[in-house]
Amino acid sequence: MLDRIVRWARRKSPWILHFNTGSCNGCDIEILDLLTPRYDVERLGIVKEASPRHADILICTGPVTRQSRDRLRRIYEQMPAPKWVVAVGSCSCSGGVFRGAYNVLGGIDRVLPVDMYMPGCPCRPEAMIDGLARLLETI
Amino acid sequence: MHLEAILEALQETFPAEKIEGQSLPIGETFVALSPDCIQPAAQVLVERFDLRHLSAITGQDTGSEIELLYHFWDGQGLTLRTSLQREEPHIATVVNLIPGAAFYEREVSEMLGVTFDGCPDRRSLLLPDDWNEEPPMINDRVTE
Amino acid sequence: MLKEPLSFLLTVEGERVVDSVLRLGYVHRGLERLCQERNYVQNLHLVERVCGICSHIHTTTYCQGVEALLGLEVPLRALYLRALLCELERIHSHLLWLGVLAENAGFTTIFMYAWRDREIALDIMDELSGGRVAHAVNILGGVRIDVGEASVASSLMRLDELERRIEVFLGVIQHECTFRARTRNVGHLSAEQVRRYCVVGPVARASGADVDVRRDAPYAAYDRLRFKVITSNEGDVWARALVRTLEAVESVHLCRQLLTELPDGPLSVRAPRRVPPGEVVSRGEAPRGELVYYIRSDGSDKPARIKIRTPTLATLITLPDQLRGVNTADVPVVLAGVDLCISCADR
Repeated sequence: MLDRIVRWARRKSPWILHFNTGSCNGCDIEILDLLTPRYDVERLGIVKEASPRHADILICTGPVTRQSRDRLRRIYEQMPAPKWVVAVGSCSCSGGVFRGAYNVLGGIDRVLPVDMYMPGCPCRPEAMIDGLARLLETI
Repeated sequence: MHLEAILEALQETFPAEKIEGQSLPIGETFVALSPDCIQPAAQVLVERFDLRHLSAITGQDTGSEIELLYHFWDGQGLTLRTSLQREEPHIATVVNLIPGAAFYEREVSEMLGVTFDGCPDRRSLLLPDDWNEEPPMINDRVTE
Repeated sequence: MLKEPLSFLLTVEGERVVDSVLRLGYVHRGLERLCQERNYVQNLHLVERVCGICSHIHTTTYCQGVEALLGLEVPLRALYLRALLCELERIHSHLLWLGVLAENAGFTTIFMYAWRDREIALDIMDELSGGRVAHAVNILGGVRIDVGEASVASSLMRLDELERRIEVFLGVIQHECTFRARTRNVGHLSAEQVRRYCVVGPVARASGADVDVRRDAPYAAYDRLRFKVITSNEGDVWARALVRTLEAVESVHLCRQLLTELPDGPLSVRAPRRVPPGEVVSRGEAPRGELVYYIRSDGSDKPARIKIRTPTLATLITLPDQLRGVNTADVPVVLAGVDLCISCADR
């Protein structure tokens, strides 16, 4: 019984933390767009948090650069379980156009286990909402 | 930009150099100089012609040497070109004349291994602190 | 707010910043090196992703450079369409920035309104190019999109609405006392500092520098257009807000000219794959200032060198000076005031 309530609460108010590991900002501005009046994901219960300790879903953009790898891992470790990782944009899925660059390690899954991949360069807000909704269904 | 006057002034300052303006797109004039002439040339541009806007410093490995390009601009472009040897390349800094050159010198320094003599800030700009490989823009480097 | 990785080490005494050290590089992907390993067409897609906010000016400046090496004459219609996207991008970038500044100053309402109204500019770009953020409009030799009469009409209507909304923000900047209190005399740069540091763009213009690549070295269709270069002598964050918002209004006027005076003709000329040996320096006025591309070709289909100097790199260097003596509470406002685009700076 308690389990069902907790799961319902989690599904209805997923708090997200956004982390940029090397993105060109294309996906980042589309993520921020989700919070603005046209897309307004707050009506789905999604709130953008500043601290990893308050977040349920880690949304990553950009290919992982050498300098951002350790921070990415640290942020993930600071998030309390249960937690999910979403890779937004082609770069965080696989490295995108930057695959093979000397300072790029690849996509987010080189460092963290990813639960949802959202390709696109950049990923459109509608696709992000769709992806998030699908992820929430699995919670 | 009084291009003729600038070229004349540079020839006057460096009688041993052959000062020639090479016209290149888009609206640019390139002038080749020896490395020790770059800092005094920048002084001429800044103090006599008030040409202070340094858009960028490009560094490139042409295979046989390290070439530096100092791109000045005021609506028209004047680029000073110089070549450094590949072994321990170094050149005098222009940061005391043009403080805006600081980031550009730091970037060329870390990307090509060039030392800017007299530059107070030798920290890397973009590369990680623990970068211990060859400078990335040197051409014999192989990427993964 | 716009989460870009950048490290600042601030030394404070009580509530005042005494010194600051900046650390870049978290978004450094090694793009210039990657460019040498790809051909000119692939690099078009690569340079578009130096920055998602100003992607079009990057491809425009890049294409101009390569087209100069190829000796191509780009058709006038294509130049007009390039300039149109440049100005729409300027509007979206300045509104984005205004929202970020407002959010950093605690004015979330303006953030929401600015980003809501910015959607109008994105809608226009989406209709014209198929993309809100990455438009991929430029190809070597011209543009790949065309604009029909229906799109011209709908875009003009949207521009009217956009202008009305931007006028509201102008009113806030000029008359709202809390906004003025948070941004006046904060992050001040003198005309002399701007010259010494070779600052570019709205930050330079807000301190009195009368420079704009669109007027001083016209590219695309700018030699055929009428527009004002906006400057201010106040030199603080408030002046930068004023300059950028007035620039957005000028950009709306420019878009109208471009749409109503669009000449007929082809959209592109054929560009060969191999570029003859040569060098070029190409410039454009990005929303943040002078963007410089140096390209050297060696006769093959891959560039020997592409050097990109983004405007943010030229403004970042002033941050330690701007932050000195500032209250820690004002640090986010000062940082927002220079319109940082770290992915541009780091490449």
